[in-house]
Amino acid sequence: MPEINTKHMEKNMTPEESLKVIESMIGQAKRSFSSMSFYFLLWGVLLICAMITTYVLRDEPRSVSQGAVWAVAGILGGVVSSVHGIREGKRNRVSNPMDRVIGWLWSAFVITMVITIIVSVGHHRDPGPMITLITGFATFLTGQILRFRPLIIGGILFWAIGAAMHFTHDVLITSVLYCCAMLFGYIVPGLMLKHQENVLRTT
Amino acid sequence: MSFAPLDPVLHSQLRLAVMSLLMAVDEGDFTFLLERTGATRGNLSVQITKLKEAGYITVKKTFKENYPNTLCRTTPKGVKAFEEYVRSIKGYLGK
Repeated sequence: MPEINTKHMEKNMTPEESLKVIESMIGQAKRSFSSMSFYFLLWGVLLICAMITTYVLRDEPRSVSQGAVWAVAGILGGVVSSVHGIREGKRNRVSNPMDRVIGWLWSAFVITMVITIIVSVGHHRDPGPMITLITGFATFLTGQILRFRPLIIGGILFWAIGAAMHFTHDVLITSVLYCCAMLFGYIVPGLMLKHQENVLRTT
Repeated sequence: MSFAPLDPVLHSQLRLAVMSLLMAVDEGDFTFLLERTGATRGNLSVQITKLKEAGYITVKKTFKENYPNTLCRTTPKGVKAFEEYVRSIKGYLGK
């Protein structure tokens, strides 16, 4: 990144210098992004824990134990995400279009997920496979917006595993598939994104 | 071959830097512009006022955690002027 001396603001610039200023400043602005990795890591860990707990409690009466596990995970994740988001928002000195689009994308995801859960439970169907498919949709798009390949691959993985979950009713297979989706779709890309965010912030 | 004259409001290093930053974001505050441009407070303040007077940006004074916070964003007129400026310098550079 070329260093731009903006202290001598009335200096007569050549077109090359003007272009250099523009490129440099747009590069600077690109580094002003919100941290997304936190959410992928939080939800990845939380949902794997919920899946394992659900598997362990599989012989308990379904309506009470399983629903409660997912409700607790959802509420806990929602509260922690909201608190983190509000804190980040207060710290941020800039609002950029990429953060705004990703924010709306995940808000739409949450609304779709809640409707899917209500409709599926109403029809006594497992909402897991459908939620995994729409998670793929949101993860894939986030990866494309951020131009971050691990999330794009994670999104594709969610789609593949969501589709596979539609063809099996075996609890162990479904649980393992879901945990794999979370591990390779959220946690691994989340760790890689965290590393990239740290590198970008310190360069 | 004749070239269009460059917009004098934008053809200044700091004002161009501020506009370039604001073009890449929805909205940026004074501290963000200060950190990214490396300018002095006084100089930045003067150039922001010039951009505001030209109608290229809007400046909103708010409070953030009890401290004054100045938010800047580009106007449609500013976006058009910036795009025109970029087209002009590309013309000069033969791009």
